[in-house]
Amino acid sequence: MASSDSPEQVPARASSPRRTFAMTIVAQDPSVGNAQGMLRATVPVPADRLEPGPRSHRFQVIDYDATARILLPPARLTAGNWQSGDWGWVEPDPFCNRSDAALLSDPAFHAQNMYAIAARTLAVFESTIGRRLNWGFLGHELYLVPHAMAEANAYYADDVRAILFGYMPDRPRRGTRAGSRALRIARSERLDPDAVYTCLSHDVIAHETTHAVLDGLRPRFLMPGLPDQPAFHEGLADIVALLSVFSMSEVVQSLLGQADLEGRIAERTVTDQELKRNALFTLAEQVGSALKDERGSALRDSIRLRPSIRWASDPQYREPHSRGEILVWIILESLAGIWRQRLADITVGGSVSLARAAEEGATAAQHLLGMCVRAIDYLPPVEFEFPDFLAALLVSDAEIVPDDKHGYRDTVRGAFARWGIQGADDHIADLSLSALTPVYRNLSYTALRSDTDEVFRFIWENLELLQIDPRFYIHVEHVRPTVRVGPDGIVVAETVAEYIQFLEGTPAGLSRAIGLRVPEEVPSGTRVRVLGGGTIVFDQFGRAKYHHRKDIRDIRRQQQRLSYLVRNGLSGDDSLGVSDGMPAGQRFAILHQADADPRETW
Amino acid sequence: MSGPAAPPPVLATVRIRMYQVGFGDCFLVSFEYAGQAEPARHVLIDFGTRQLAAGLDLADIAGEIDSHTGGGPDVVVLSHRHQDHMSGFGGSGTDAVVGRWKPRLVVRSWTENPAAPADATGPGGTALRAGLDQGRAFAGALSQAIAASRRGLRSDVRELALAQLANQASIDRLNAWSQAGTGVYVNYGQPLALDAVVPGVQVHVIGPPTVAQHPAVAKERSTSPEYWQLYQGLTATGAFDPDAGTQTAADARLVGPERWLVERLQAPQLRSLLRIVTALDHAMNNTSVILLIQAGDRRLLFCGDAQIENWEYALTVAPDHEQVLDLLRGVDLYKVGHHGSRNATPRTLFNLWNEPATRDRAMTALMSTKTGVFPGTNGSHTEVPRDSLVTALRQRTSLSSTIDLQPGVTHVELTAPAFGDAPFTVVSSG
Repeated sequence: MASSDSPEQVPARASSPRRTFAMTIVAQDPSVGNAQGMLRATVPVPADRLEPGPRSHRFQVIDYDATARILLPPARLTAGNWQSGDWGWVEPDPFCNRSDAALLSDPAFHAQNMYAIAARTLAVFESTIGRRLNWGFLGHELYLVPHAMAEANAYYADDVRAILFGYMPDRPRRGTRAGSRALRIARSERLDPDAVYTCLSHDVIAHETTHAVLDGLRPRFLMPGLPDQPAFHEGLADIVALLSVFSMSEVVQSLLGQADLEGRIAERTVTDQELKRNALFTLAEQVGSALKDERGSALRDSIRLRPSIRWASDPQYREPHSRGEILVWIILESLAGIWRQRLADITVGGSVSLARAAEEGATAAQHLLGMCVRAIDYLPPVEFEFPDFLAALLVSDAEIVPDDKHGYRDTVRGAFARWGIQGADDHIADLSLSALTPVYRNLSYTALRSDTDEVFRFIWENLELLQIDPRFYIHVEHVRPTVRVGPDGIVVAETVAEYIQFLEGTPAGLSRAIGLRVPEEVPSGTRVRVLGGGTIVFDQFGRAKYHHRKDIRDIRRQQQRLSYLVRNGLSGDDSLGVSDGMPAGQRFAILHQADADPRETW
Repeated sequence: MSGPAAPPPVLATVRIRMYQVGFGDCFLVSFEYAGQAEPARHVLIDFGTRQLAAGLDLADIAGEIDSHTGGGPDVVVLSHRHQDHMSGFGGSGTDAVVGRWKPRLVVRSWTENPAAPADATGPGGTALRAGLDQGRAFAGALSQAIAASRRGLRSDVRELALAQLANQASIDRLNAWSQAGTGVYVNYGQPLALDAVVPGVQVHVIGPPTVAQHPAVAKERSTSPEYWQLYQGLTATGAFDPDAGTQTAADARLVGPERWLVERLQAPQLRSLLRIVTALDHAMNNTSVILLIQAGDRRLLFCGDAQIENWEYALTVAPDHEQVLDLLRGVDLYKVGHHGSRNATPRTLFNLWNEPATRDRAMTALMSTKTGVFPGTNGSHTEVPRDSLVTALRQRTSLSSTIDLQPGVTHVELTAPAFGDAPFTVVSSG
């Protein structure tokens, strides 16, 4: 951590520009460390024009405290100015050598920490999926507010295009004048190092950024659907948080404990059970500790969950956070299995080098994170259910890693099976196996890669192949070219298109139209909306490969969705299935306090 | 030579009156004895409101209680220190009547004991009490910082903060009544000799647990004095003054994203405040006294606003919880917790009454509530009373709710014989 190298200025506009800047961050959160102090890491962050804030083309840090009503000046992390020849990022960064107390009290470090982890999280998604990913709101920049409110909470607020990070002060923030009604614009400030800042918590930042990124990829996942849908948001956010933290071998090394004099640890400490019991359990204990009262022990408990095949109707898994933890269990179980397999290759004479073991763990986490992120592109745009994720994982990974020599897919399949989640082989239709031949007459390959009308033309000429019923309104929402690279360097170019289908009517109308029985308690004049849709993946030649379909005519699923929405009061005043009635931007803000035990509430 | 001791009075009838106090609780449980000589004994459980029913005020109700008890109850129970359970005891226009009462026993939670030793975890543990005191101080400061308005987020925050404050007059009266050994402060499992004042009646105290019994209680931020002191400090600096919008972002000459964001963070800040005050509200609900009253063959369950965290000790953690569960299986009359909200009737409790051996036994439920005070936001399941709970109660019990009373009707009255199987029946709603 402490470096005696003299700092060098890294010019951004030299002949071969830097792709990344190395930034100091808090590895997990300030409470996790060792005798030397809090555990830090130096991580590469995608290079960008960084103006004071810091502000890049995707993020802007604005340090406004809405409780104390103080606005701090934007942090300046770079030297020189962009147009002149002396602009650059200084490496190693000035925070590298400073004490823990100095970092905790410097708002510029808070800004850097938050920016670095958010930018890295977005970068993982973009590089894995293989294209630029918009936010879910209208705007290029996501605002990051490091000290937004004096509350132990942090959340993605789509209505203000921001992630708001709260803090738990130890004492009132200095400088707020009693009785003052003014908005105070401070020139500089030394923050209280004893307060608890969620903007210094790696897992919180990664978790909330994931909500924001997923909202851009699947904006309809925040609209009324099946209970697995909000659970996926929470589960994926926790998975990304855990695996991002775990992708740093410094962290893994500190979790594996002490090595012997030769830097080796015993093989028995790295069996599946031991890894789970110790390293992963410890990680889960540490993660989320800043918000332990509010997020509760959901993350800790996810490791201790006992798989059950009856989870779908068990009230214990009714609430999105707890339901999402099922996915977290599955991924952590897969991580332990994959790590174990990788270690088998390097274990010699009953022991393994601690450093290598840590590296393998970090690598396993990176690969698994890649698998999970890539799968998102293969998910349907609406009506998400857990088996969809399994199918997407298996199919998307097979495209990138055809021979799976480490058996990742079998491990993942096995973990899902423990919960009774098994994908049918044709869950995602492989169109090359269809009896019908796809029709590409008159289609322009170039247009197909980017034009929604052209994709609709493909759908129109292949309704039977895709089993899409044209009586219902169809709309192609997005079409995007992507280029993905697998861990072995295989490049796969694809085009991914999403379409949805709508049907709206009164309960009586829907019953006549498609035989759908709307729950009795729904008043007769209510506007009810049902959805269907799918994701179509085209290969590099513009041939349709896969179709992940959610049929609008699937009455069982429609009925299940409406019952769920009605039972949980997730509807607007005169409508059902259009909005969930929650206040704007507050969906992720609801604190999950210990008293919300879903098994006991009504 | 003195004659043989008079035989103890024999319970004949249990009579319960649920008074119409709108969104609040006020229950009079009267125990009547065989033979003319022995007067009935009256136990008044809570007397307060947050929002009255139309056409009735607390003075009217006080007058009714006075006449039904012949000059005041023998026992007063205060489930917990929220305005809607205690405002009637003083300062709400009821002093002329209530001031004449002389209860012989006043039952409150251990958290209310003013003379407790300074021990953090014992029955008189001050850390939790100090925490709640500080919380109330914060709520008081906050309610003053926000100007009164009729609707909107600001109003919600202010109303909830105000609801945490019980007027001093009612506290003073309860303290005055509790002097000279009249006041008892109870926790889980503590013996409560009610039968000295109300012959033939036993009481099991099944909540709240002390910190020593259930350490989890003290770990929550919302019970820590430092946490609330901090927020109080923030209020003093004007930090939580949501009306401090006199200088806008534009006035401060901000432009661009900074201005955009600063203007839009006001509403999230109010919601943050609302969450914080809600945490205090829950912490105070969980100090509720839970009483299982055994009178002859009748079992009455009164639990104030106890939420699941208070209940969980009795239902799952306490060393003798199995015996408690058995007692609870036999409940005849259940006073619905927290005005019918979603998290104050644990399913574990409700399921006890739907087991093969218990599902056919007649039961009565009483719910004192008012719609519209907490309409809840969609998807949050927080409407009070909670629809799904009311449906379940109507299916399993004979539910009497103050919502169903005609305007101007002051109470609903039920009786049951103390012995035998006959269930409670409604005598009158008048």
